[in-house]
Amino acid sequence: MKLRSKLAVTCAKWTSTFIRKLNRGSGVTLPGYIARIIDPGILTTMSEMVREKTIVTMGTNGKTTTNSILYHALKAEGKKVIINRTGANMLNGIISAFVLATDRHGNLDADYACIEVDEIASVRVLPQLKPDCALLTNISRDQLDRFGEVDITFQKLKTAIRSVPSCKLVINCDDVLSYTLAAESKNPYLTYGISEQIFDDISRSEIRESIFCRSCGKKLEYEFFHYGQLGIYHCPHCGLKRPTPDFTATDVVLRGEVYSFRIQELQIDSTARTPYNIYNTLSAYTALQALEAPETHFKETIESFDYGNNRESIFTIHGARVQLHLAKNPIGFQQKISLVLKDPKPKDVIIQINDTYQDGEDVSWLWDVDFQYLADANTATITTNGTRRHDMGLRLKYEDIPCDSTTDLKATLKKLTRDGTKNLYVIVNYSGLYRTNRLLTELAAQTAQ
Amino acid sequence: MIMRLTIGHLYPDLLNLYGDRGNIQCFRKRLEWRGIKAEVLPFLSGERIDFSKLDLVLLGGGSDREQELVCQYLKEIKTDFKEYVEDGGVVLAVCGGYQLLGSYYKTEKKLIEGLEILDIYTEWEPERLIRNIVLNSPLFETPVVGFENHGGRTYIGKHAPFGKVFFGLGNTGKSGYEGVVYKNVIATYLHGPLLPKNPHVCDYLLERALQRKYGKEATLTPLSDPLEHKANRYIVDRYSDKKYVLKETIKRYT
Repeated sequence: MKLRSKLAVTCAKWTSTFIRKLNRGSGVTLPGYIARIIDPGILTTMSEMVREKTIVTMGTNGKTTTNSILYHALKAEGKKVIINRTGANMLNGIISAFVLATDRHGNLDADYACIEVDEIASVRVLPQLKPDCALLTNISRDQLDRFGEVDITFQKLKTAIRSVPSCKLVINCDDVLSYTLAAESKNPYLTYGISEQIFDDISRSEIRESIFCRSCGKKLEYEFFHYGQLGIYHCPHCGLKRPTPDFTATDVVLRGEVYSFRIQELQIDSTARTPYNIYNTLSAYTALQALEAPETHFKETIESFDYGNNRESIFTIHGARVQLHLAKNPIGFQQKISLVLKDPKPKDVIIQINDTYQDGEDVSWLWDVDFQYLADANTATITTNGTRRHDMGLRLKYEDIPCDSTTDLKATLKKLTRDGTKNLYVIVNYSGLYRTNRLLTELAAQTAQ
Repeated sequence: MIMRLTIGHLYPDLLNLYGDRGNIQCFRKRLEWRGIKAEVLPFLSGERIDFSKLDLVLLGGGSDREQELVCQYLKEIKTDFKEYVEDGGVVLAVCGGYQLLGSYYKTEKKLIEGLEILDIYTEWEPERLIRNIVLNSPLFETPVVGFENHGGRTYIGKHAPFGKVFFGLGNTGKSGYEGVVYKNVIATYLHGPLLPKNPHVCDYLLERALQRKYGKEATLTPLSDPLEHKANRYIVDRYSDKKYVLKETIKRYT
C-alpha cells in the first residue's frame, strides 16, 4: 500500500477513536471524509484489497435487509465479510466502513464486501468502488424532496451503473423501472421475480409510479400488481414485457405469522412475517448466484435470520405486546397498514412522523398511503406524535378516523401499555427510530424488574 | 334543496405527485361535512371530458416526463378547458398543472406546449427549488403554507400572483411572488398537499363553485378546524422564528 493511503487510514482511525472518546455519536462519517481528503483514491485502494468480490445493494425499499441477508449468508460459508452500518451508505460512510475494518498495518482481511449504497451517492461511489455485482431491489417514490422525481433517481442509478460496465446486475424484473434500467445500461444482468400473487389488496396502494412504458410512452397493462408498480406487466404497443425471471420463489404459504416458500430446490421455512421479505430473500439468493459464491448454508441462514434489523422489534411493557415498525415511504407504510389489518385483535396505534432532512422535509407522501383501511382495523386509539403530528392527524381526519396527538411519547407509551388493549403498534419514520427503540428498550427493562 | 358539486380530477394516472389525492379528499370531505353532495370524476389520459358537467377541476403535478406524455391529451381539451375558465369555471392547478396552464414549459431537452389559458411561461433550470413555503395572499387573512419542489421557473407577466412569499422561493426563486390567480383559477407550486392545511383556500374554491352553480346566495356554513389551524400554524410559527430559519439555512448549505 502507498504511504499516502497508509496515512489516510491512520488518520481516519484516530478521528474515529477521538469521536468515540468525546462521546459524539458513533463516528461513521467523519473518518471517511478525513481519509478521502488525504488520499482521494482510498476507496479504490481499499476495495482492491478484498480477496474475492464486492457487491453493492441499492434501491428504494429493502436494501438494508437484503444486504444483511447477504452478509450473514456469506459469513455462514466461513467467509470474512465487510459490511457498512445502517445509515452509513453515502461516500464517506462507505470509506469509513473499509478503513475502520483494517488491521494495525492498514491491511484489509476480507473475502467479500457487502455495501449498501444510497441512490444519489451511487454516482460517486460506484466508479471508485468498482463492484463485481450490483443488486437493485426496486425503484419507487421516496424522499421526493431529496431526489426531486423518481425519474431523477432512475437517471442517477443509470449513470452509476454505466460507469462500471462489467459490473453484473441483479434485477427485480417485476419492477418495470428496474428492468428498463438493466436493459438500457447494457451491463450483464440476472433477474428475479415472483409470479404468484403474494400481497393482499391492502398492501397495494392506489398510487403507482411509472405505469407508462418507458420506451414508447403508452400505458402498460398488468395481469396483477404485487405492490406499487411491481407486478406482471406488458406493453400492448411496443411489446415490452416482464421476462421470465432467472430465479423465482414459489409455493408461498403463510403459516401462522410466518412465510414458507421455495427457491429452486430449497424449501425455506422462514421467519419472515411480511411478503416483501420473501423478495429480499430471493434477491439475496440471486445475488449469491451472480457472485458465484457458495450457498450451501443458505437455508439454515434464512431460517434463523432476524429480519427485524431493529426496524421491526417486539417488546413487552407492563404485560403489553409492543411492536415497533419503521415506515419511511408510501410503499413501506402501506405494507405496515396491511400488517396491522392482519391482526384481528383490538389494538392501540401510535404514529410518529418527523420531517428532518433524513426523513424528508416533504410529508406529502402521507397522502399516497391508503390510511382509510385503518377505519376497519379494530383500533381502540390512534395517537400521532413527531414534528408533523398534525399533518398525520389531518391525514386521518380526512378519512373520518379519529385520533389524538401527544408531544410526550414516554407518558403515552406508559399509559397505553398500562391501561390500553395490551396490543400496541408504534410506527415511526426514520429519525425517530433509534430514539423510540431506546425508549421502548428502557421501558421494557424497567417493567421486567 | 340538496346542493351537489362535481369535481373533475384530470389525468390522475399521469399527474399524481406530491399527495394530490389530499386535495381531492379535502374538497370531498368539506362538502360532505356540510351536507353537500360531492361527486369526484377521475379522467384518465385519453378519456373524453365534458366540461359543462364539471363545477371544479383539479390539475395536479407530474414529473417532467409525465408532463410530456400528458401534453398530447391536453391538445384535445384546449378549447373546452379555456371556455370553462373564461366562463368562471373553478380550477385548482398545482405544480405541473400550474405550468401546463401557461403557453409552454421549456424543459432541459424539450418544449412542452401548454393550454395557453394563462399568459405565462416556464423555463427549466438545473437547480430545483425545494423547501417549505409560506405565502401571504391578498385573498386570505390566514397565511397559505405548503411545500414547493420544482425545476421550472414560471414567469407570470401581467397576471396577479396568488401570494407574496414570506418564506420560500416561489415562481422564479427571485420574484418574491408565488402562483397566479385568474378569474376562478388558483394556480400554484404549493403542494404538501395544499388544501388540508389551508382550509380557507379550499372553502374559497368551493364557495366560488357553489355560487357559479346556485347563485350568490349559496354560502358555506363555517366548520371548526382546530387540527387544520394547528398544522398551518406550526409551519407559520416555525418560519417566523428567525433563529430557526438561520439554523435551517446553515444546515442546507453545509
